This record gives sequence, structure tokens and C-alpha cells, in this order.
Amino acid sequence: MKNLKKALLLAGLLGAVAAYFAADESTRRYIAHIGKQVPYLPYRYFI
Amino acid sequence: MPDYDAIVIGAGLGGLTTASLLSKNGFKTLVLEQSDIIGGCCSTYESQGYKFDVGASIVEILHPMERFFELMGKRREDYIELLPCDPIYSFITEDGRRFSYPTDIDETTRVIESIAPEDVEGWKRFSSLGFEMIDRMMDAMMLSPMKTIPEAMRMVIKNPEAMRFLPLLMRTHQAVTRKYYRNPVIQSSVAFQSYFAGAPPEIGSGIFGFIALTEHLGIYYPRGGMISIPEGIARAGSEHGLEVRTGCKVEKILLEGRRARGVLLEDGSEITSDLVVSNVNAKVAYLKMVGPENLPRWAVKAISSYRHSMPCPMIYVGLDTKPDLEAHHTVVTGSIESMNKVWNDYYTKDLIPSTAMSLICWPTEADPSLAPEGHHILNFLCNAPAPYAPLGDNWDRLKGWYREEAIKSLEKVVLPGIRDHITYMEISTPLDFERRLLSPQGSIYGLFSDMTSLALFRPHARSRVIDGLYLTGSSTHLGGGVPTTIASGIITSGYVLKDRG
Ligand SMILES: Cc1cc2nc3c(=O)[nH]c(=O)nc-3n(C[C@H](O)[C@H](O)[C@H](O)COP(=O)(O)OP(=O)(O)OC[C@H]3O[C@@H](n4cnc5c(N)ncnc54)[C@H](O)[C@@H]3O)c2cc1C
Repeated sequence: MKNLKKALLLAGLLGAVAAYFAADESTRRYIAHIGKQVPYLPYRYFI
Repeated sequence: MPDYDAIVIGAGLGGLTTASLLSKNGFKTLVLEQSDIIGGCCSTYESQGYKFDVGASIVEILHPMERFFELMGKRREDYIELLPCDPIYSFITEDGRRFSYPTDIDETTRVIESIAPEDVEGWKRFSSLGFEMIDRMMDAMMLSPMKTIPEAMRMVIKNPEAMRFLPLLMRTHQAVTRKYYRNPVIQSSVAFQSYFAGAPPEIGSGIFGFIALTEHLGIYYPRGGMISIPEGIARAGSEHGLEVRTGCKVEKILLEGRRARGVLLEDGSEITSDLVVSNVNAKVAYLKMVGPENLPRWAVKAISSYRHSMPCPMIYVGLDTKPDLEAHHTVVTGSIESMNKVWNDYYTKDLIPSTAMSLICWPTEADPSLAPEGHHILNFLCNAPAPYAPLGDNWDRLKGWYREEAIKSLEKVVLPGIRDHITYMEISTPLDFERRLLSPQGSIYGLFSDMTSLALFRPHARSRVIDGLYLTGSSTHLGGGVPTTIASGIITSGYVLKDRG
């Protein structure tokens, strides 16, 4: 079960990286922009 | 005994709406405004016989304003006279081509057909989905609190159709535009509105893609200038005892532990109330007026994580002749790529773009009384957005150069030789905006707006860290805009009435 979870997480991560590199420049900038904001979302939700 | 039941800091639209609704509900309410005039970004000042709008130049989506007057038990028409503006825009493309979008949908279809027959089908799909969304969701989206997951879920349960439109929030403005349109000219005429929400098309939320459609419900100019809107709201409040004091700058929100107990003014005097509503930029409210020392660490991290929205210089021009324009608004735009380029290669690198989106507003077309007889006014947003701190320079030093650039643009777009007809010209740079409205970095819509900083992720109208502190205006709810900030005032007063009513 634990291994399956790890494999799924890895597959998800690889998928996201592949999607990033397959995307055009503009979409990459968008993903990078959103990516930078994500860590703040839990804080922003509570303020 | 506190001096007032409620103190509101700032007489912007959000502040005045909240204050008037509280007065109507029996709260002894005081609004403190640092400037000599009310309205903040939605205001009008007089100089040499001309009346210039400080920022906002048009109102659309009237639902929140009508709802406000309904809640006050009054008729909007008795307080604010709205003049319809048709056509909505006149466009000037990069290669000098001009066309206008009328309010009427069928006529707009014909305009699109004449430019890009291949996009008529897309326009029909876009407008049919958009109008369905407006009909079913506009009131719910604008006027329901949506800051917590339970609130958002309640909104969706009450309006299950919301699920259909939710993906639009997740997409970008340019993705929505490109889904419906193929022709670059039509695309740019729909994509530039992304900057109305303060972000380039590749970052702005897809939901703003439908601004281009809401405009077909009608765009309006208030007789007497944009200040007539805050004046109408304040007048409705004053009939219930609302007190508004101008020229009163608030320095601090007074606290007792983590509970608001009033405000400290610049002159050192204190006014007490255990209910304080802030209509100023949320970063200023929390980090300057409350102070980081009075906040938990996570809250300082949360509020510091927001960026300010973009600034943008405004140019106010008086003319002794009629400008050669076709509509209240004339937009000079480039392609979606060039709009994104301005953001990525100039704005974020603190450079002033030489070609970007420009918006020329001609208010005397709707209301000639704003200027002396035979004269006209132009409010000109030249090459938006522009950085707050241009690299290696300073806006005070750049003013002369910028003025010359603006005149050259007007000569190209409005009237050759316009220079000889300019009787008045003032430039409000991002620094001037900061000085005039105390809006940090001259930001025009409070905090930056994208899907990571709206609704659930924008500061809560009812502070979760300071008891008795409420927020309203463009730093909350759905961000900047005349309708959204009036809506935020309705929502904020709703929280107060629920807590204390
Ligand atoms: C250039 C520009 C163009 C725009 N165009 C449009 C448009 O065409 N249509 C549209 O719908 N929207 C437009 N907007 C947006 C819209 O005008 C604003 O989002 C809206 O008016 C903001 O309302 P607010 O409630 O956030 O208050 P604000 O307008 O931000 O007002 C806040 C008030 O607080 C006061 N204040 C600040 N600090 C203090 C203090 N320490 N003590 C006391 N008072 C203080 C300020 O002086 C100000 O009056 C435009 C904005 C700008 C700047």
C-alpha cells in the first residue's frame, strides 16, 4: 500500500513536470506564477 | 461609552456603502477620510473650470448599486443619474484600424462579421454561455460572501449551476479568449479587459474574460462625474445620521489586546468605537495601522504574501475643441502576445513600456457640463501598466518626458495638432496616486488579483485576528472595480449586522 502511494505520488510529479515542459512559454509562465503563490494559500485562506 | 457605534476608515465606495448600511440599521457611524474629497479612486476634482475623474471612468454591472439602494429603502434614480454610453468602445489596433462595439448584441455580431466572419460562431457561443452565467449567477457571485469553504459551498448549493462556470475561474483570460476567437484583432478586443482586473491575459482569471460581455448590459457615466456615485451613497447614508469627516487621516487602529477600540488620528486625537471598518489597502490596515507586533506570526506571513495591484499613470487633459473620437472610451491595443510582453519584459522589470494598452476616456461626450462651454475633457491612461519605481529613475523627474510622450500619443490617435488645443494638462504618476490616496505603490485596485488572491484567498471582511475589525473595498472579496467594491460594502455590513445587529 505504502509503495503504491509512493508510486502514485511519483507518477503525479512526473506527469506535472512533463506537462510543464510540453507547455508553451506563456503557459509555463502561468504555471510558475501559480506555483509561487501556492505555498501562501493556506495562510491567505485564514487571514 | 465609545464615541461611535462604528468608525469607517476611508470614504471609498466600499467604506461609504458599509457605513451607509450601518447607519440605516441604527449604528451611529463616522467615516474618516484623509483627502478633502470623498470617493477615493471613484472621485472627481475640479480645476480651472474642468471636472476630472481621479480614476474610474465608467460603471457597469449595476446589480450591486441597485441592491444597495434597495437595502436602504430608496430609489437609485433619486440619488444618482446614470447616462448610458453607446458604443461601448472604439478600438484602434496596432496597424491603425478603427472599429467600435455597440451595446446591441446583433449590431456587435455584424461588426465582428465585418472583421472576422470566422469568429461569429465563437461570439455567439461566448455570448450565450456568458449571458446564461450572468442571468443565473451574477447576483450570487457578486453579493454572496465567499471567503470560507462553508460560505462557498452554501453559494454552490443554492446555485448548483455554479459548478458549470467554476472551470472558468481556473482558466486564464487568454485561454478563454482563444477558446472562442481565432482572429487576433477580435482576440485583443476581448483580452485587454484583463488589465481592468490588473493582470495580463496570461495570468488574469478567465472569469474576467466575460467583462467584455457584461459591458453589453450597458455601460454608464454618472451625471456630474464619477464622484456622483460616492456622493449619492453618502447622501443616502446621511439621511440616517451618517457622519463623514474629510481631511482626517487615521494613523493607527487602537487596540485592547486583540480587540479594536477606536482610532488614532494624525493630529494625535483619539476617537473610540469597538467596531472599526477599514476601507484602506489591507496590507496598510494590518501592517501599519494594527502593526505586526499585534498580529500572530502566521497572519503577518499571510498579509505580507500579497502583492499590490499594478499602478498606472493618469493624464487629465482640458481641450478647447471637440476631440475626433467616436465613443466614451477609445482603446489602443496590440495583440495578446504584446499585452503579455508589456507585463513580462517591462512592468515586472521596472521599465516603462513604450507601447502598451492605452485608454482614452471622453466624459464630456456624455456630460458636457463637466467643462466650460465648447471645451472638452480627456482622461488618458497612457501605456498601462507602468512600474511604481522605474529602474534608475523616479516619476517626479520623469513627468516632463512622460507629458511629451502622452501628447505625441494623443496627436497620433485623437487629433493631429492637439497640442495647440490643450488648455490644461496634469499628470498623476504612481507616486502622485500614492500621495493623493495613500494607496501604497500607487496601486489602483488594492491587492493584485488572480485566482490565488480572490474570494477564498483574499483578506476576510471580518478579521479573524482582531475582534471588532472589519475590512471592505478592493482588498477584499472580488477585488477592484465600482460594482465589486459596492458589493464588498454590502457583504461587510452583512457580517457586522449578523455579529451585532
Ligand atoms: C485609474 C483607475 C481607473 C479605474 N477605472 C475603473 C472603471 O472605469 N470602472 C470601474 O468599475 N472601476 C475602475 N477602477 C477601480 C475602482 O475605482 C476602485 O476599485 C474602487 O473605486 C475602489 O474602492 P475602495 O472601496 O477600494 O476604496 P478606495 O477608492 O481605495 O478608497 C480608499 C479611501 O481611503 C482613504 N484613505 C487611505 N488611507 C487613509 C487613512 N490613513 N485615513 C483616512 N482615509 C484614508 C483614501 O483617501 C481613499 O479615499 C479604477 C481605478 C483606478 C485607480
